Amino acid sequence: MSCGMSQLERSIDTIINVFHQYSVRVGPRDSLSQKEFKQLVQKELHNFLKKEARDEKAINDIMEDLDTNQDKQLSFEEFVILMARLVHASHEEMHKNAPHDHEGHSHGPGLGGGGPGHGHGHSHGHGHGHSH
Amino acid sequence: MPTDLENSLNSIISVYHKYSLEKGNYHALYGDDLKKLLATECPQYTKKKDADTWFKELDINSDGAINFQEFLILIVKIGVSAHEDSHKA
Repeated sequence: MSCGMSQLERSIDTIINVFHQYSVRVGPRDSLSQKEFKQLVQKELHNFLKKEARDEKAINDIMEDLDTNQDKQLSFEEFVILMARLVHASHEEMHKNAPHDHEGHSHGPGLGGGGPGHGHGHSHGHGHGHSH
Repeated sequence: MPTDLENSLNSIISVYHKYSLEKGNYHALYGDDLKKLLATECPQYTKKKDADTWFKELDINSDGAINFQEFLILIVKIGVSAHEDSHKA
């Protein structure tokens, strides 16, 4: 299944697979209970949500905020909003940490320290006049 | 060490820049950039909606470019649709 996938498809696939790994555990199989969401945050997002992962109240607050239909479960539609927010936050972090001596566009480490050196953050040349 | 999920989220940022750094503003996908992104990264989502229609839908502020926030709307839409498909398989 993964051989013909693009970079974007692999990312989306991972998001869906991780969601399902936790959502099937108890109760409704395609949504996250409060406990399942807590397990997911602590196991899969502990670098991005470092402070929150250690604070049960903070995790519950995030869940409550995402649970727009207030059924005490997170559907994939609700969960994916957190994914978008985290992508956004990590991108902001990459720019905050970007080296200032570069011309053109560059990034430093993103959330959780993922960045240059880990092969996930990046800085780019693409003819904008900055050299590596 | 970032988890697989965290790497995937950062990888979405790289996908955007692969196309947004081609020209002009670093955080802008112009019409042909978006077309290339869709054709390369997720061609199956241009069957029902062509690249021009996607562009109009995502360019919320009508400035003729897809900024990073607007790109995230595409990610949410594709994610929701891919999740639905995962249950049809």
